[in-house]
Amino acid sequence: MSNERKLDQATLRKMALRHNISLQWSWNYERMQALGFAYSLIPAFEKLYDTNEERVAAVQRHMQFYNTHPSMSAVIFGAATALEENYASDAAESIKIGLMGPLAGIGDTLQSVLMRPIIGVIAAGLAAEGSVFGPILMFLAQFFWFAIRFPLFNWGYKKSVGLIHEMVGEGIINKVTEVATILGLVVIGGFVPSIMARVKTPLTYQKVLEGGEKIIAIQDVLDGILPYMIPLLFVGFSYWLLKSKKFSPLKTLLALIVVAFAAAVAGLL
Amino acid sequence: MGDYGFFTALILGIWAYFSIIGALAGWGTAEALVSGFITGLVVGDVKLGLEIGATLTLMSLGMATYGGATIPDFNTAAIIGTAIGAAAGGANAAELGLGIAIPVALFMTQLDVLGRATTTFFMHGAEQALEKGHLKSVERWHLMGTIPWGLSRGIPVFLGVLAGQAVVDSVVSSIPAWFMHGMRVTGSVLPALGFALLLSMMNLNKNWPYALLGYALFAYLGVPTLGLAFIGLALAFIITKNRGGVANV
Repeated sequence: MSNERKLDQATLRKMALRHNISLQWSWNYERMQALGFAYSLIPAFEKLYDTNEERVAAVQRHMQFYNTHPSMSAVIFGAATALEENYASDAAESIKIGLMGPLAGIGDTLQSVLMRPIIGVIAAGLAAEGSVFGPILMFLAQFFWFAIRFPLFNWGYKKSVGLIHEMVGEGIINKVTEVATILGLVVIGGFVPSIMARVKTPLTYQKVLEGGEKIIAIQDVLDGILPYMIPLLFVGFSYWLLKSKKFSPLKTLLALIVVAFAAAVAGLL
Repeated sequence: MGDYGFFTALILGIWAYFSIIGALAGWGTAEALVSGFITGLVVGDVKLGLEIGATLTLMSLGMATYGGATIPDFNTAAIIGTAIGAAAGGANAAELGLGIAIPVALFMTQLDVLGRATTTFFMHGAEQALEKGHLKSVERWHLMGTIPWGLSRGIPVFLGVLAGQAVVDSVVSSIPAWFMHGMRVTGSVLPALGFALLLSMMNLNKNWPYALLGYALFAYLGVPTLGLAFIGLALAFIITKNRGGVANV
């Protein structure tokens, strides 16, 4: 493969902007991010091919189904750009197919499973006290994932085919996923009781003692057996619906609303 | 009690339109906290916007559109809930706003599906343009893909806020106390779904000891959020280092 650069900096910058901002703007059920990816490559094809027929054929190759984490996609897009620049279109295709799954896993785990919940709790706490730093923090935390797309694009562009070897071969993906999973589970284990601490039962019962009657709160009894038992039961119930009953998230949500609302109206919660 | 004119409804509708397009671009514009705050600024009750945004954010933890899944739209809910709560005013403004926000978040899932499905036509439009060899037209189809996304949020916010006064008038007087209590409890139970989704993604069946550790650290020792994160991070590196980074997820 020749290392001759045919795309100038201005074209690369235009492509990175197109990808990093608009990848998902035509997101649809059928091909998801495919059109956004193809759209972002058009400036390259205009430089690399002389005839409209060749350009159209090149865009057509990128109209296949594509979906991954939009920030991680910048790495793939950078590598695909470098490969297309060297007319290695088959390699560009396989790097997309090979990396979109694993990188979606990493990106979703890091952003939505780890960072957003942790920042979300802090930001919601600030906002609940009336501080505008709550929304600002939430915005910046999401914007961070946008900002890193530019260096990720450059990295992917520089590595091109070496990318698959580096990420899959050297086990980076597996290692990051494992670290994220352990960290995530420890944090979520603590989040369940802390965020759902308000879910309690107001029920009481009267206990006849030798010296008379005493009103006992059932919540205190439950706390003595297992702290935050009711939040754990709700999470367990949802997990069971999702995993064993194969409920969709939306169906699980509706089931949760029905159960919680009914329990509240019945005076159990 | 305030009343919203055409322009307030329009401004909030436009914010809803662009907040989802911004979110597709990866900016935090479609966060319940951000939109609650912006709506609070527009209707003149920032504190209420922050409060409703904060509650909806806690409900949305762990919910993300992995692979394009539809989740409740807490962003649109924050805009409509804050606007209507502020119109009602009074001590119950936040509960009333949330009581409206939660059904809105659920209803919006229908429009999310509609928006995502409509863009499929734009995909086909681009494909046909490509067959005819019109690259400029392909680019236009792609950029126009934002329209169904924006409208699916902008129109309901515009109509909801415009109708807000009528909704408030008819709803405030008729909502019984047990219903408000039910909404409040439901709101505090809903984070359970987010957690269950996260846990199933992280293969709880195999990795449960880590979750148990986090639970014990908080429930019995009261370790705060950041403390949990540090302990989790240290543990993760100790374990992967000792095992040479073999995947076991």
